[in-house]
Amino acid sequence: MRLTLNGEAVDLDARSDEMLLGVLRADGLLSVRETCGIGVCGACTVLLDGAPVSGCLVFARAAEGREVTTVEGLGGDDAVQRAFASGRAFQCGYCTPGMILTAKAFLAETPSPTEDEIRVALAGNLCRCGSYVKIIEAIKEAAT
Amino acid sequence: MSAAPPEWLTPSSLDEALRLRAERGDDATVLAGGTFVAILMNQGLLTPAAFLALRDVPGLDTIAIDDGELRLGALVTHRAVELSRVVRENVPALALTFSVVASPRVRNQATVGGVLADADYASDPPAMLTALGSRAVARSVRGQRDIALEELIVGHYTTSLEPDELLTEVRVPLGEHRAAYRKFRSRSHEDRPCVGVAACRRPHELRVAVGAVAERPQWFPELCEGEPAEIGRAYAAAIDPLDDIRGSSDYRRRVIAVEVRRALEEIAA
Amino acid sequence: MSDPRTTGASRFAEDARLPDMLYARILRSPYAHARIRSIDTSLVPDSCVILTGEDVRDLERYGPQIQDQTVLALYEALYAGDPVAAIAAPTPREANGALELVFVDYEELPAVTDVLEAREPGAPLVHETARIAENEAAYFEMRPQPGTNVCHRFRIRRGDPEAAFAGADIVVDETYRTAGAQHVHMEPHASVARWQDGVLEVWTGTQTPFNVRSDLARVFHVAPEAVRVVCEPMGGSFGGKTFVRLEAIAAALARKAGRPVKAVLDRSEEFQTLNRHPAVVRVKIGATEDGTLVGARIWCWADTGAYADSGPGVVQKMGFAAPGPYRIANVWVDADCVYTHLPPNGAFRGYGQMQSTFARELVLDVLADRLGIDPVELRLRNVLRDGDVYATGETVHDCMYGECLQAAARAVDWNAGRRGKGLGLLMKGMQTPSRAEVVIEAHGDEYIIRCGATEMGQGTWRTIALLAAERLGVDLSHVRVEVPDTNVVPYDSRTTSSRTTYVMSRALDDAVRDLHAGDGRRGHGVVVIEGGLDPDTGAGVASHHWHQGAAACELRVDEETGRVEVLRLHAATYAGRVVARAGAELQNEGSMIMGLGSALYESIAFADGQVTNANLSDYEIPSFADLPAQLTHELIEKPGAEIHGLGETALPPVPAAIGNALKTLDVEVHELPITAEHVLNALERQVPA
Repeated sequence: MRLTLNGEAVDLDARSDEMLLGVLRADGLLSVRETCGIGVCGACTVLLDGAPVSGCLVFARAAEGREVTTVEGLGGDDAVQRAFASGRAFQCGYCTPGMILTAKAFLAETPSPTEDEIRVALAGNLCRCGSYVKIIEAIKEAAT
Repeated sequence: MSAAPPEWLTPSSLDEALRLRAERGDDATVLAGGTFVAILMNQGLLTPAAFLALRDVPGLDTIAIDDGELRLGALVTHRAVELSRVVRENVPALALTFSVVASPRVRNQATVGGVLADADYASDPPAMLTALGSRAVARSVRGQRDIALEELIVGHYTTSLEPDELLTEVRVPLGEHRAAYRKFRSRSHEDRPCVGVAACRRPHELRVAVGAVAERPQWFPELCEGEPAEIGRAYAAAIDPLDDIRGSSDYRRRVIAVEVRRALEEIAA
Repeated sequence: MSDPRTTGASRFAEDARLPDMLYARILRSPYAHARIRSIDTSLVPDSCVILTGEDVRDLERYGPQIQDQTVLALYEALYAGDPVAAIAAPTPREANGALELVFVDYEELPAVTDVLEAREPGAPLVHETARIAENEAAYFEMRPQPGTNVCHRFRIRRGDPEAAFAGADIVVDETYRTAGAQHVHMEPHASVARWQDGVLEVWTGTQTPFNVRSDLARVFHVAPEAVRVVCEPMGGSFGGKTFVRLEAIAAALARKAGRPVKAVLDRSEEFQTLNRHPAVVRVKIGATEDGTLVGARIWCWADTGAYADSGPGVVQKMGFAAPGPYRIANVWVDADCVYTHLPPNGAFRGYGQMQSTFARELVLDVLADRLGIDPVELRLRNVLRDGDVYATGETVHDCMYGECLQAAARAVDWNAGRRGKGLGLLMKGMQTPSRAEVVIEAHGDEYIIRCGATEMGQGTWRTIALLAAERLGVDLSHVRVEVPDTNVVPYDSRTTSSRTTYVMSRALDDAVRDLHAGDGRRGHGVVVIEGGLDPDTGAGVASHHWHQGAAACELRVDEETGRVEVLRLHAATYAGRVVARAGAELQNEGSMIMGLGSALYESIAFADGQVTNANLSDYEIPSFADLPAQLTHELIEKPGAEIHGLGETALPPVPAAIGNALKTLDVEVHELPITAEHVLNALERQVPA
């Protein structure tokens, strides 16, 4: 099945009953993580045509012909990535790709958010290490 | 143990979709956004023989005003309703209701048609759509029929849709009104509703629908009279709420009285 | 500036792949207690490898403190979720499919699923006998009570509390129940096992590589040197990835298959593998009119589930931390570790000390209220100071409890009014005894550090590199910490108990000394922390030094629904000396947020011994939107002080602070979590009929 993945046209194998998460991981994109299976934790967040979705809930075939972005496709020097790195907005780092993609999409829509707006927009991304305080600071930093 | 993947049917017109629906019935699992179906599959609870994916069917993803009604296509995402200027200007309480569902990720994917067809009790939109006096439009090869929202969801994960029908849109009456939706979470902000109260006051009618407390939204037209506190107490007495991880039946009953009253106070004239 | 965590380059244990690898799935008992009559595997395809009790009967029993575990249940399943069979298949999909073709014939047996019922004489016995482990994880004497479900009993016997109560002006006696909780580390448990020429290699997420090595060696009857454990970074652990978890099943499958096997748990299985001890804690404290605490009698019953795991150690700590940082001349504690037919409970951030701290701190506020003394004042009158003797008979030093308490109180404007405000004070032990070693290798200008410290998000490799760079007098960029591989790193007890920064700083001191004393190419440092307690009297040295912290909160309650809104939450922790500031802040913040979850949301629900909320929608952890409007903390330092670990300190006092704040609003809580329903019930009890 054909789609645009991190800016490149690719052809991936996908069964009709496979989710996008599995297909992306099989393709080596290990930043997209598999853990809750019900779309509530955000560790499998990818951008589908620029909008955050749960990779574990999107049927792979439903992504056919669309644009998928993972954190590997941001180039490493993206403003949000840099703000997270310099602000040490992580502990184990497992949830970080999901946080970054969600924050990117959010800031694109809401370039000057209040702290409350950040909290609500990111609330669907869970961090058990509890890096929330520093993540909020990093997002504020990236917004400036 | 079947190793063959399910058929992936992608009709490119509504007629083709309806034809396939009539042929396959419940053997082909309908996919709109697919969030609910994906959860069932991830948990190993569903192994369909085929998928009937609606993504390529044109005309199901529009929001429009037509003849005094707001029309939401079945494939309109929650996020589209949340952000739609048309909805925010004409039925702001509906935009709010869709905006408090789950997370932005789910709202980017889940659809108006899907949330109704899934008929999950712990859901926000059905109660609000019921209070607004909405109707669902169901199409089949046999024709079209309108189903009042309060007649659509009949039980846990069960609708009154026939096996050959597809829900194609929802229509919400416009006109002067004040409406509110209150999502009561008993735990985290991210929790599903413990009690959801939708209230809509129109010039000649007040409707209150309570969701997430029973298998279907609870609306008692005969109880929608009097002061907010009275209505709250009446609803609490009339509903036999379920128990789940978010609250016991007894707790829900107490919260129903409070949240119904609060919703009505929000829309007091 | 970039970091692998932001670019997607991080690799965790669950990402490990080996050529020719098979994928494992586990078949688990649906019953809390059942005899396994037979297992029919005839329909499992030949492409899959199937393991049942028959295949592992020759393997040894294991367990870090009591050896009560077998690789698979052999004759009886002892909890709903107990592994009964396992499949290894070429793909996860095939493994799932094959699992459905294994048919087990069970005979249900009576089950005991409540700790107070299980401790009673005559309750069904989960295990007939308790064989005590002989390994470094069993670092204290065990006291299993024969003929009962009590697999360890820890006692403190100091003075005569009953006599003290008789002479006291007031005695408060209250009981509290804390629910079980799940670590919910975002990365699941994951292990890959491979046998090669009689050597077992395991790539796994674990905090305890050397314990895993010694137990696997024991299980498979090989020398420890024939087992290699490699610890990739973990996507969180919080105690869940300790001791043998999936490694033995993966290794047994790999042995039978002759190929590497990878085992990864799904989220529902995480609730059936290792959880936090639910507990019932009864606290009786007596005081004189002026607020002097004269006696304490405390009972703890901790539900350790069907396998003891590190339950005895958890209970020992629950018990020795129970009296708290107060001068009390007469203290008796009885802490029992009790088997039930529920999933095993083990290490969980706080290690038993949250449960007893919650109970005791709430009782102190009840006392304060009845005496008409301010809760801060009551504590300050009794708080331990340098040179005081604790309930274990050890002399305490470097006491900063009063400072932590006052800092927390200040942060919520305690003196401006008390309504809606509460606080809690913690005295927590650090693993004692223990041993840590580190090797420094110099390669020109570059230094490689080898030690057993495992990375789970606490930033230990960076902290150790900072400590080494400091001592070597070089820039951080010249120091690299290797991934722990038991083949190439020296021994370390384990990465638990917030001990690592402290012990490694001392081991590095020793290693640098050794490096300079030799040819400058290699230095080997060793630190041995001594101590321990008599389990019958509680006398001895519980902790080389103590972790100290306080939390304070201000909250309000929606009186019509019982919903609690925490307005501000502050933790004041004693750090001694901060090494990596950002990391230290993150640990405090993370601990506080986890404490918030324990206080308000987190509880594992059971029906007939089965977990009924084994997913992240029905079991909730705090999200961004649940944070208090103000969440702050401070790291208290003192010149010349020892480095104090911070991995857990800010968690246990948080539920106590919230419970005590609710008391000022006439909501008396006796359970954790404090649900809205409990609060509403408590409020309605206050309303006169």
